Amino acid sequence: MCLIEPGQSGECRVRINIDGVLRTVVYGFPCSVNPYDPVEKKPLFHFLPGTRILSVATVGCNLHCLNCQNWEISQKNPEESTAAFLPPERLVQLAKRNRYLSIAYTYSEPIIFYEYTYDTAKLARKEGIRNVLVTAGYINPQPWKELLEYIDAANIDLKFISDDLYRRICSGTLKPVQNALVLAKASGILVEVTNLVIPTLNDKPEQIRELARWLKTNLGRETPLHFSGFYPQHKMRHLPPTSLKTLEMAREIAISEGLDYVYIGNVRSNEGENTYCPGCKGLLIERKGYTILQNRLKEGCCPDCSQEIYGVWK
Amino acid sequence: MTRRKFIQKLIKTGSVFVTGTWFARVGATLCGCPEGRHTGLPLPRKFVRAFRVKKYPGYLRPLQDISKQSKWSG
Repeated sequence: MCLIEPGQSGECRVRINIDGVLRTVVYGFPCSVNPYDPVEKKPLFHFLPGTRILSVATVGCNLHCLNCQNWEISQKNPEESTAAFLPPERLVQLAKRNRYLSIAYTYSEPIIFYEYTYDTAKLARKEGIRNVLVTAGYINPQPWKELLEYIDAANIDLKFISDDLYRRICSGTLKPVQNALVLAKASGILVEVTNLVIPTLNDKPEQIRELARWLKTNLGRETPLHFSGFYPQHKMRHLPPTSLKTLEMAREIAISEGLDYVYIGNVRSNEGENTYCPGCKGLLIERKGYTILQNRLKEGCCPDCSQEIYGVWK
Repeated sequence: MTRRKFIQKLIKTGSVFVTGTWFARVGATLCGCPEGRHTGLPLPRKFVRAFRVKKYPGYLRPLQDISKQSKWSG
């Protein structure tokens, strides 16, 4: 938690103490509104596949990852940024008018535009529009539980399985993220987890194994895990991009540890993009990039062995 | 003092000590951890909702046509 002196902002830069009152300067002011993302890009592979999702973000973030892939908005001061005025009611009407099934609060970090996310999600729920969070999960339990009541799915980063790396690389800690993951799963929403594999930092087999084991024990084997390829960005331009070989190694380890659905992202991979039945290993959903080539699921089950497949399919 | 009275007194003192320690721990938890990021002082455990501001501190532009893809796409 930040203790904010009058006139100062928190670590996120967008929550400010003005005369003893905490104010959010980004409520209703997104810097990014993107209509074209497929839901698979979040990445969410087990939630309304093949649909478009209206994605929105403001500047700011309560972490400061040296490798941030969205640093141009996440590490931006609001006074140096450009935004549009789009209060919750208008955002929901925009989604409804354009027939979006869901809205994603994403790119930077929805936790720091918490009130905007919460109010929009509440209105969207009333209109039958679903809500998706793409977040680092660095939040305390009470506000997290309140927000989850209006959320339908979340992709949550588990950046490292080491508290030391969370502190050194992200200026955060591991425990709140793990707690947020467990609470999210327990709340009943669809949860998928992303781990960005960074060469020399968290790409060792024993680290992958530990992460996969933690996931299986605490979230369940059915929780999809995405290993995402790193590209040199922000303050980590000296590292090479993650190789496909490393990502495939990570995927193999996670599958051998008993996880049912393990994917490779940000890098083209044939098998790593597809969904296979954990029962009979049959191909269920074939993807090329973010495009669905075929979806064989029948009422959310494998057409061959009738195994129920974890996900929100309609 | 008889032996019985002594034992009773001992039990009473022990209970007071245990109860007092328990209250002290509870009080510390309510006031305490985690420490503030800036000051290192213990923080109140209270979720504070932020109020919105009317004016954006940066630059405002009209919402662009959402039929065109923007820069941020994941």
